[in-house]
Amino acid sequence: MIFIGILVAGLFVLYPWVIADDFYGRMGADVLLAAIGASAWNILGGYAGQISVGHAVFFGVGAYLPLLAFTHLGLPPVAGVPLAVVISLGVAIVIGLPTFRLHGHYFSMATIAVAELIRIAISNWDYVGAATGLMGPAVSRTWLDLSFRSPIPYYYLFLVVLACLLLLTWHLQRSRMGYYWRAIRAGERPARSLGVPVARYKLYALLLSAAFTSLAGSLYSLMVGFIDPESGFGILRSVEMIIIAALGGAGTLFGPLLGAVILIPLQTTTNSLFGGGGSGLTYILYGGIIVILARFEPGGLLDLARRIAQWWSRRREGVAVRHAA
Amino acid sequence: MLLSARQVSRSFGSFVALANASLDVGEGEIVGLIGPNGAGKSTFFNCVAGDIPPTTGRIVFSDIDVTRASAATHARLGIGRTFQVPATFEEMSILDNVMVGAFLRHHHRGEARAAAREIIEFTGLKALAESPAKSLGTPGRKRLEIARVLATEPRLLLLDEALAGLTPTEIQEAIALVRRIHAKGVTIVIVEHIMEVILTLAERVLVFNQGLTIASGKPRDVVNDPAVIEAYLGRRHARDPGAHAP
Repeated sequence: MIFIGILVAGLFVLYPWVIADDFYGRMGADVLLAAIGASAWNILGGYAGQISVGHAVFFGVGAYLPLLAFTHLGLPPVAGVPLAVVISLGVAIVIGLPTFRLHGHYFSMATIAVAELIRIAISNWDYVGAATGLMGPAVSRTWLDLSFRSPIPYYYLFLVVLACLLLLTWHLQRSRMGYYWRAIRAGERPARSLGVPVARYKLYALLLSAAFTSLAGSLYSLMVGFIDPESGFGILRSVEMIIIAALGGAGTLFGPLLGAVILIPLQTTTNSLFGGGGSGLTYILYGGIIVILARFEPGGLLDLARRIAQWWSRRREGVAVRHAA
Repeated sequence: MLLSARQVSRSFGSFVALANASLDVGEGEIVGLIGPNGAGKSTFFNCVAGDIPPTTGRIVFSDIDVTRASAATHARLGIGRTFQVPATFEEMSILDNVMVGAFLRHHHRGEARAAAREIIEFTGLKALAESPAKSLGTPGRKRLEIARVLATEPRLLLLDEALAGLTPTEIQEAIALVRRIHAKGVTIVIVEHIMEVILTLAERVLVFNQGLTIASGKPRDVVNDPAVIEAYLGRRHARDPGAHAP
């Protein structure tokens, strides 16, 4: 297990050396960015079981603030990142307190409504660029602008952030916090009966999740240098995080990363194959994945792999027993 | 008194599920709550466990007013409960299920794990510790629920039909487990349909019918009380023992 972990980590570190051109470098960065977003969503949606379909709100706040700091104050975009996290936490509390009173589908629907309202508001607010969005620095003024031609520096920046996020998640899932989250997901009433302060622990999950989703948004706009309401606050943003986490395995440490490794190259390929008309294809792809996962593999690919491994070891035991007999 | 519930009532809309129930439980007692279906025992039980607040009345646990306190606060103060329909955390292992309970008193993973292992051994689930809860049958689940709540180290344990649906052998094992828990110094309030269980375990019983407490006292006396017989078998039956014949 440890061996596989080191091997995979090594592959991620060496990937930019293996690939030669910027296209695949950018794709690698996109994979890591999607993995950060999905892993952040996974804290609330996977471990704590609160399926938010409004995480685009935090992503959007994270994406807009750096470019707002640049556009209106002339600061390096990165200066907007801490403020974005603080605002996301504030938004999380304002959204979380009322919506956590809702359960299951009602919670999910409420988060969609909030996210769409905010997207429409942003689309009509001139200070934040309304429907046209905001641009980052065209050329790097200082290195602090974090504006690179090559995708490789972004790749490594994202890799470090992802590693920190996964390390934190790993630590939390083993601690009281992680156990309480899983208990809440499995049943709020029995969790309460065992002394779990359910509302408080849901809020902890939301705050952590929001902070890292916001960070993912900031990293996105630092790399892309452009943001508009659709790419920041669009519902597709939220759906993407969910699909990626669910594909790999929601509520598992590496599920979101696995989901991103599979889905993002698939998406990039369809987009480049079909050009501008391919963006609609993404929806079809997502729809298909939702149907297949819901029908056949609600546990995601990691769960499927675990069951195959179990089946294989049982089969081998069976063979050994038959040989012995 | 460890627990003192006075004049507890609960209505759902215009329906009175429970009217003026009172119960005092002393440290170290085993008290049974019995009554036909819909009698209000579960409602009373849920009020005492903090799952639903009573409409009127007052509940005091070891000199602390817990009438309006949350279920989590009840657990922290030392009131543990099981559920009528087992509510185990299905995807989690048995050990992890019990650890959720143990984390209430032991904040560190290692300590919680050690405490959970001890309780798993005590409740006879050791061989299955690493299996998921969903692999258990009904008796196993009921046992796991007891293990999980014991891990919160309760002073008062509320058992809601923890023995219903078990075979006679399993019932004997479960009775033995309840006795061992009692021997550790845990006070127990038990809701049960099975008379055998109440008669062997409880020192005192409270009988509910249609939201009212109609009798209380020693189990042997209570089962011979005409009001109790009427509640269980019906007035017509009580008046005319031959009524059920064709």
